[in-house]
Amino acid sequence: MSARQIRFSTLWRREVNRFMKIKKQTLGAPLLETFLYIMVFGAALGSRIKHLHGIDYILFVIPGLIMMAFSTNAFANNSSSILQQKFQGAIQDQLSSPASPGELLLAFSLGGFMRGLTVATLTFVVSAVLVGLPVDHLLVLVPSLFLVGFFFSQLGVLTGVRAEQFDDVAFVQTFVLQPLIFLGGVFYSAALLPQPFETLTRFDPIYYMINLVRYGFVGFTEVSIPLSLLALTGATAALFLVNLRLFTSGYKLRA
Amino acid sequence: MREGALQIEELVKRYPTGVEALRGVSLEIGPGELFGLLGPNGAGKSTLIHCTTGLAQPTAGSIRVFGHDAINDYGAARQAVGLAPQELNLDWFLTVEETLDYHAGYFGMPKRERRERTRELLETFSLTEKRDERTRTLSGGMKRRLILARAMMHRPRLLILDEPTAGVDVELRLELWHYVQRINQEGTTILLTTHYLEEAEQLCDRIAFINEGQIVGEGTSGELAARYGVANLEDAYLALVGRKELSRSHIEVTAS
Repeated sequence: MSARQIRFSTLWRREVNRFMKIKKQTLGAPLLETFLYIMVFGAALGSRIKHLHGIDYILFVIPGLIMMAFSTNAFANNSSSILQQKFQGAIQDQLSSPASPGELLLAFSLGGFMRGLTVATLTFVVSAVLVGLPVDHLLVLVPSLFLVGFFFSQLGVLTGVRAEQFDDVAFVQTFVLQPLIFLGGVFYSAALLPQPFETLTRFDPIYYMINLVRYGFVGFTEVSIPLSLLALTGATAALFLVNLRLFTSGYKLRA
Repeated sequence: MREGALQIEELVKRYPTGVEALRGVSLEIGPGELFGLLGPNGAGKSTLIHCTTGLAQPTAGSIRVFGHDAINDYGAARQAVGLAPQELNLDWFLTVEETLDYHAGYFGMPKRERRERTRELLETFSLTEKRDERTRTLSGGMKRRLILARAMMHRPRLLILDEPTAGVDVELRLELWHYVQRINQEGTTILLTTHYLEEAEQLCDRIAFINEGQIVGEGTSGELAARYGVANLEDAYLALVGRKELSRSHIEVTAS
């Protein structure tokens, strides 16, 4: 391994090690939350609703829950890890190392990505066993989930770098992401909403992410898959470039 | 011409608030030197260190570490520097052993070498028994030892110690002095900031006074005392900060 590879793998390992050391909070709690949603919306409500667009309600909901688990965990991990390290001053150890801004950014991003992936994978495995969740379009599902995870990892990094107190992270999580995710159609189809809510939903970027993931699993979508993939790729790349610029300039990281 | 361990020229650091922490600092530390940087709180010592290690970005001027530009060739420059900061900035999630291992990893050290170096430094700093403890459970003195061990992990050629003995007991202070002298004799260049003048006098080959972002005096402790027309380094320092009335000789005379 070259010095650069050792450096990058250590930076990345530190991020994974952090969330693995507090598994109850970082993996256990989100898993429990996801299963409570499945119980309430899938089992309880599902017995009344039965089908949505010809798909079992529980199978309609689970892809959205997997996407939600991936995104919220990727975001929460990176935003809190960076802010905590800024508070402790421990981030100075990484910042004064020979690591480039790109290496630092990617390592921080991958921590959240791995946590999101772990929770999403466990949710998928259990769902596949319990309710026989299918995978209809693997070639759409894999890049969609990868992009969703990476997008929210970047958003977590951006929020963590910009934040000066934990309230700043909580604000984005509670007042921005949570409403966008819930109103993006995790639990329902936008086509069922009255106007103007149906049209408003189409301005929610997360609506397109949910549709991509849902299409990957059960083959149902209300939006164009190629256009949504293209837009998500563009948004993820743009966010990565913004973060790279911040890391290169040292914004709120280096005095 | 010999390559300097640290060459700083006309360094300026202006914060976005408008505060000018460094106002054209020039400084040269030779390889193998043990150099002291003294000055009152807020004089610019930590800012100078942060600019050297990449934790702050200079507004103007240049910094070279063993010939490597700290901005344009930051990888090589930072590789040569080990920093033991004033703050106890340890990662709460890591154990003592992980702290050392991860740090060396950030500097690209292979696994086997990291393992050996960790064992060696845990032993040197009497931390072996604490190796599996989380850093936040350590006492202040233990944290200070760990910070120094961490700075040494990647075998830096220039070690920067920012007030390493602040708040430590006498025993640990003397232990640290011995260690600093030993590694300096083995070839490591050291930049030390301290508020303890006897520490600077005893350990350092040369000393610089920094005040209000400028170097206002440089030389051996004898040369500095002569420059201010006083008997010792402490009086020279008091002259620098405009508190000559606090001189021990003055107090003794007043008391008698």
